[in-house]
Parts: sequence; structure tokens; C-alpha cells
Amino acid sequence: MSQSGASLRLLNEVWNAKFMTTYRPHMPVSLVVAPDPREMSDLELARALVEGKAWAIGETWHRFAPAVILLARRALGSESEAEDVAQEVFQRVFAKASTLREPDRLRSFVFSFAIRVLKTELRAKRTRGWLSFHRPETLIDLSGAPTDMESRDLLRRFYGLLDRLAPRHRLVFVLRYLESMTLEEVAAHMELSLSTVKRSLERATSKLSVWIEAAPELAGFFEDARWNR
Amino acid sequence: MTSPGHGKGRRALDALSELARGSARPPTTAELDSGLDTLRSRMEAEQPHRRSARQSSQTSLVRWSLVGALAAMAGLVAVGLVRPRSPTPAAPPALAYRVEGGSIVEGGYLRESGRDGIKLFFAEGTEFILMPGTRSRLREVAASGARIAIEQGTASFQVTPSPAGDRRWQVDVGPFLVTVKGTVFTVSWDAATEKFELKLRHGRVTVSGPVTGGEITLRAGQRLLVDLPRGETTINEQKAEESFESPVAPAPPPASKPASTLSPAKLEPAKLESDRRWTVALAAGHLDRILDEAQRAGLKATLEKASGDDLLALADAARYRRRMDLARDALLAERRRFPDSARTLDTAFLLGRVEEASDRGLARAIEWYDEYLMRAPTGTYASEALGRKMTLTSKLEGSSRARPIAEEYLRRFPAGTYAGPARAFLRAP
Repeated sequence: MSQSGASLRLLNEVWNAKFMTTYRPHMPVSLVVAPDPREMSDLELARALVEGKAWAIGETWHRFAPAVILLARRALGSESEAEDVAQEVFQRVFAKASTLREPDRLRSFVFSFAIRVLKTELRAKRTRGWLSFHRPETLIDLSGAPTDMESRDLLRRFYGLLDRLAPRHRLVFVLRYLESMTLEEVAAHMELSLSTVKRSLERATSKLSVWIEAAPELAGFFEDARWNR
Repeated sequence: MTSPGHGKGRRALDALSELARGSARPPTTAELDSGLDTLRSRMEAEQPHRRSARQSSQTSLVRWSLVGALAAMAGLVAVGLVRPRSPTPAAPPALAYRVEGGSIVEGGYLRESGRDGIKLFFAEGTEFILMPGTRSRLREVAASGARIAIEQGTASFQVTPSPAGDRRWQVDVGPFLVTVKGTVFTVSWDAATEKFELKLRHGRVTVSGPVTGGEITLRAGQRLLVDLPRGETTINEQKAEESFESPVAPAPPPASKPASTLSPAKLEPAKLESDRRWTVALAAGHLDRILDEAQRAGLKATLEKASGDDLLALADAARYRRRMDLARDALLAERRRFPDSARTLDTAFLLGRVEEASDRGLARAIEWYDEYLMRAPTGTYASEALGRKMTLTSKLEGSSRARPIAEEYLRRFPAGTYAGPARAFLRAP
């Protein structure tokens, strides 16, 4: 017994000497949590996107899709068309992510695709209008629109007038007045000079104003809306 | 917005831009999730194409070798010497479906061909049943489900649960979005009174939209009622015996000529009572058809013989087409002929709207709004009537006289449509 007890003690000492020398019972232990993508900066997100990190796709979508979809809804007056536009925009963004030269400008990168896709969509819409023997009815598909028929009719007519504008003029108008961007922001997103933006805006507002004045039911809306000014 | 320049057109443009800006809402969480799912599917479907595109940009030798090999393979397949392997997985095909009782026209709108409503049958067993006169639009059909918008009317849905739980069905009902998986339910939306109703028979749905305060999840046997003008949301438990009407279209109306060829003058009043064709036509936006039919039948005869519902539909059509005299006559006829009808209360409000359209009718409009507010203080249009009264009082008598009305408005309808202008009146010096 005593021999085996001595052997056991010896074994303990050897074990402690060999393996327990670094044991520190009071060493603080910290839990390392993976960073939450939602808390990452655009720069970090862009780098992850360029590196092809799978999670970056979902985060990019959730971060920028709401603004792109809202812009497209306002520009087109249609939620279903806006949805298609958003799909096209982000598909292009992800396909071209490796070409992103300035990762800190991810937002601009996404919006530049949004503007290009919207411009293409508006051009196609105009072309379809020219090629068709009958002018297609402008359909308003905005679930946030007032539910009374009068307001919906006004909206339908308003978007009917926007359909008559050249795509560039329409987009400049939408960015400036429906998206409330500054002229400089419009110029940056549209990749146009400030003076071109000003000219396009003036042309769009003049044409729309003239068309509205020629339509008494639209001009009359101002009377109803005067209280809201 | 402050667009440059001045003039009536420019100011109306400002107002219209405001309207357009407020009409687009950001996507909901459910819409974003659904959009991301679709995007991922599209990207996965694109992968093989992209890969093959990359390969094709390599040397022409490889390309021609590949072409040769493929041609040889095609030849072998053609002569039946080898069996083709299972095809490369591509994007899953959209669900197959068929439409009965109507067709799909431009923009995805469903056009009723008869008078029995429209039925949509999906290959995996899901059924949509749209009641007669329901205006709807099939917005999307994908492999993972479908999305339909109900703009006016009633529809029943029997959604088959998918074994993997990966299907998503969405129903836009007016301003509400109903997201479902496997369930049976009926929805109704009345654009005129802005009332939404959902009766859930089986399963679970989530509803998001105005007034619901985020997403509402309903369980089997519950009924959700939302009254937008009053800002009320009610959830009731359904009793077993009154649980649900059968989710099938109601009995077809008595056989008669198509609505577009009907002449009210040739119909008996009793027939007109049972036939709400103008209400249906109004919901479908056929304003001119209503006015033409009334004109052909003779306005005087129409005002004397048309049903209460049709008179109101005629008044609405006339208002929307700015034929205010006819709208006024139809509303007054409704009040005279159906004084006890529940909807006759609404005519006071609508007459106010008609009077507003003429410059000299503003004072008369206020009188109608007062009458409506007196007789229906908690009515459907109470918020609107008080808001219009505030606006008109300001126009006629100045903003100082509108202030007490603004205070009353904010007290009664703090989240109402006119709450913003009411606060502006109170802030004004």
C-alpha cells in the first residue's frame, strides 16, 4: 500500500510539473463574439463583399435595398416594377462587387447601379409606349397611396405626366423633389454636371407645370391642397 | 418641396409631388426577406451561366473541343445510344396555375369573364377564390409561392402547406399585407369605407399595414377588423357556428344581360334593388359606363328608380368625373328615397364634398359637414368631415376661426389625416 501510495504521489508531482505549470485559476476568461454585421461600417461591409463573404450579400441587401426600393417605387409609381428593379440592381452589384475601387463609397456604388437600371427601365417603358398602337394605361401600384379614388386618380394622372418626360429629366425631378436630394447629390448620383442637373430640373418642372395647368382637374387639386402648404 | 418658379401649375405640382412622395412606403421586413430569397434564387440560377461564360472565354481550342463533344453527345442521345443524365439543376420553375372565370390582362390584373367570380388553382393544391366584382391583380408567381393584390372586394384563400415550409404566399389587401404559409382564410377590403376584414379558419397569418402597429399574428378562429377612418383595430374570436361562410363564390346572380348592355329604364325597381352592378362597375373604375347608362335610361327615371347602392355609385361616378350637379341630385335622391338607410348618413358628408367643388358652395359644405358630425359623431367620415370643416372655415373666415376646430380635431383624432394641418393652425401666429 505504502509503495503504491508513494508511486501515486510521484506520478502527481510529475504531472503537475509537466502540465500544470501554466495553470492560473484566476486568469480572466473573455468570450469572443463574432461581430454583428449590422454594426459594421460600410467600409467593412464593402471589403467583405469584395472578398466574397457569403453573409455580406444579406447584409448589403438589408442595408441598402429599402432605400433603393423606395426610390424605385417613387420613380415608377409601381411596387411590382420597383421590386424587379431592385432585383436587377443588386444582382449587378453582387456580380460587379470585385470592381469596387473605393470600398468606402459602397452606398454610391449601389445607387449608381440603381440609377442606371432605373434609366434603362424608363427608356424601355417609353419605347414600349411608342411601339404600342394604343397608349398603355398608367397603373398606380403603391400600397401607401391614399385609398380614396380621387387621390388615386390624381396619382395616376401625375405618373401619366411623368411618363411623358424624358427618362433623364424624370429621374432628376424624382431625386430632387420626391427623394429630397440636394442638387449636388443629384449631380453625383446621376453622374452629371451641376449645370446639366439644373437645366434638366428646370425643363422637367416647366413641362409638368404647363401640362398640369392644361388639365383643370389636376390644377384644381391645388385648391384642395392649399391648406397643406 | 419648393420647386422654382410660381403659378398655379407649379403649386399644384408641389402638391402632387407631396402626394406621390407620401404614397410610396418603404418595404416591410417580410417584403425584404422575400426579395432576398428571390435574389438568391436568381443568383444561384445565374451561376451555371456565368461559369460557362467564363469557360467560353478560354482558348478557342477548348471551346471547339467542347462544342464537338457536345455535338457528339447530342448525336448519341438523338440516336438513342445513350440516355442523358439528369439535367443540370436550374432555377426552379414557377408554380403552374390555371384561371377559371376570367383571364389575366396587362399588369397582372384579373378580368372577370362572367359574373361568378374568378378562381385560381395552383398545381400544388392552393386555391384563390375571388368573389364577383372583386378587383385584383396577380403580382407574382414564383416557385416559392405567389403574391396577389386585392384592390376592392372579397377573396378566399386555401393555401396548401408545403412539406419543407419554404413557400410564401402574400396577399396585399388595400394597404395591408397578409403573409401566409398553410392556411384557409377570407379577406375583404372596401376602398370606399376603408374597412379591412380577415377571417382565419385554419393555420396562421401575419398582417402588417396601417393601424396594426407592426405585424399582427392571427391564429385559427380569429377575425381581424380594421376601420381605417376611425383608426380601430379589433380582433374577435369566432364562434363555431358563425365561424365562416363557405369559401366559395356566392350563388350566381339571376341570369340577365351583361352589365354593359343593361338599360336601367327597362328594369323593374325590384330588379334594380337586387342588382348592384353600378357598385361593381364603380369598383372596377368604369365611371363613364355608369354615367352613360344613367344618361341613356334618362336621369330623372334613374334618380326615381335606381337602388340605393346604385344611386350612391352614380353619385361617386359623377363626383369623380366632376359632374357635380348630377352627383348632388343623386345624393339628394338617396336621402329622399331611403331616409332610413344606414348609408344615407354618409350622404351628408358626400354632399359637403360636392358643394366644396363650387367656389360659392363652401359655406353650404360646412353646413353639410355639421349635419354629418351631429348625426354621426363617430361615423366613418367623422374625422374627414371635421378636418374639411376646419379647412373651409380657415378659407372663409381666417385661421383664427379655425383654431377651435383644430383643437377639437386633435382632441378627437390625434392621429387623424388632418392632425398635421390642425397643429399648423395652432402654431400659426
